[in-house]
Amino acid sequence: MTLVAASAVPSVKAARAWRARPGLMIAGALAFCAIVYLLPMLSLFGWAFQGQGSSGASLAQLSRLIGDDTYHYAFFTTFKIAAITTLICALIGYPYAYLMATTGPRLAMLLTAAVMIPFWTSVLARSLAWMILLGRKGVVNEWLTGLGLLERPAALLFNSIGVQIGMVHVLLPFMVLPIWSILSRLDPGLPRAARSLGASPAAAFIHVTLPLSLPGLAAGATLVFMFAIGFYITPALLGGPNDLTIASLIEMVVRDLLDWPFGAMLSLALLGLVALVFACGAAFAGAGRIAGMEGR
Amino acid sequence: MSLSSASPLPRINAGRSALWLLAGLTMLFLLAPIAVIIVVSFNDTTLFSFPPSRWSLRWYHALWESRAWREAGWFSLWLASLVALASLLIGVPAAYGLAKGRFPGRRLAEALLISPMVVPVIVLALGLYMLFSKLGLIGTPTSLFLAHTLLALPVVIVIVGAAFRRLDGSIELAARSCGASFPRAFWHIVLPAIRPALISAGAFAFLTSFDEVVLTLFLGGPRTTTLPKKIWESVKFELDPSLTAVSTILIIVSIAALLLVELARRSRIQRQAKEAL
Repeated sequence: MTLVAASAVPSVKAARAWRARPGLMIAGALAFCAIVYLLPMLSLFGWAFQGQGSSGASLAQLSRLIGDDTYHYAFFTTFKIAAITTLICALIGYPYAYLMATTGPRLAMLLTAAVMIPFWTSVLARSLAWMILLGRKGVVNEWLTGLGLLERPAALLFNSIGVQIGMVHVLLPFMVLPIWSILSRLDPGLPRAARSLGASPAAAFIHVTLPLSLPGLAAGATLVFMFAIGFYITPALLGGPNDLTIASLIEMVVRDLLDWPFGAMLSLALLGLVALVFACGAAFAGAGRIAGMEGR
Repeated sequence: MSLSSASPLPRINAGRSALWLLAGLTMLFLLAPIAVIIVVSFNDTTLFSFPPSRWSLRWYHALWESRAWREAGWFSLWLASLVALASLLIGVPAAYGLAKGRFPGRRLAEALLISPMVVPVIVLALGLYMLFSKLGLIGTPTSLFLAHTLLALPVVIVIVGAAFRRLDGSIELAARSCGASFPRAFWHIVLPAIRPALISAGAFAFLTSFDEVVLTLFLGGPRTTTLPKKIWESVKFELDPSLTAVSTILIIVSIAALLLVELARRSRIQRQAKEAL
């Protein structure tokens, strides 16, 4: 393509300019990100490792983070919520994506719409909806007691059940879309070949389709886990006092205790975890597959 | 992402009905909260009863009567429009440069420009808070404009970049070899060719800002009350039925944006079909 470009454009100088220009076109976005993105990230480092008074750097915040059980508990809670969310999303999301990829175009459209509408709907509005649905006098409890399935209304809100329901609702699309993407591009001849060689439908699925779709599952799991550990809104609204996540802890430390240096250290720890999850996922699924699905 | 590319994978007939049952329940789970909040917003009582015993528009009326909600609505609308415009203005050229350019550090630049999507918003919020408080921007509309644009920019780059990669480069070269300058060819040939992607990117950039909560809470002040911020404050204080009406408005805006994107995509497919005939 570069050769064609060079021959189509009159002079060598113009050809060079033509090739250089796309590089120049990203200058605006880079400058914007340098100021509004890199500078804030650097100031987090500055605050987290700032020494007492004017004396250089210090690891005081880091040792606070490592030394205190309260903070370990927040990290443990966050990981627990993220792991359960990822597992449920995989269990529900895989069959859903499989149907999306294998059914006719009209039904596929319906299944897709059911994922895309919540995906692009305000997380706040959806959390509010769950508060109405899951409260003690909420719709779910009214119906379950009305049907006689429950004797007394169950506690579904302001505890970890509420958080899990809300989190799965928010993050399920991030699981469905990458799996669907890989299944819909899968060569249908492969499982068919397995069938014609005598494999049962289940065996063809387990030995052919499932292994070929694992990168999609890995990409989905990475996205869900990564967003789950940093999520703020849903645990804050649907959780109770025992569901203190890292994100809520950061908010508390900064807004209530005004402890910027420690808030910055917690933020860096969270950022490091996200980067670690991304790196693990990229090793399995490829960074491009994960990045291509960052729809939001 | 095309919506209707179903491939004929072999169907597992035995488990097929079980699969559909599961998918049906999943659809219920995905859509029920949205449907319920819309229905409850037309309730006539102060209780969130479902289905409503009497229907009315009283909560919409209450919203309209409230100056604070009205102002929050206009502010959200303005902010999201400006954010969409700004992120298109810097994002579209960047997406072109990343898709078509060959220069050292291209992949690094791409990773940098897309990565704000993956960084937890609370981390961005704290970093920006530290920077903006030094610059005296906390509580100003400017701080929200900059922060929301940072979130919307990767959305634009991902969507428009994918369109540029699909685009056949020869139409641009044809225009250039016929004597069009680069800006002319870009404006008259390249951009019209990716119009559906521009519409999607603009719509999703708009929604990114319109629904944003965390950055707004951290960086905003009394002068920068958006709809989501006002909802957040009311939810924390007490559950007021007019919240269901605002939420319904947010949901309708989202669905309208999705419809717009889908219409743009279909018009392109129809045009391509006509050209093929």
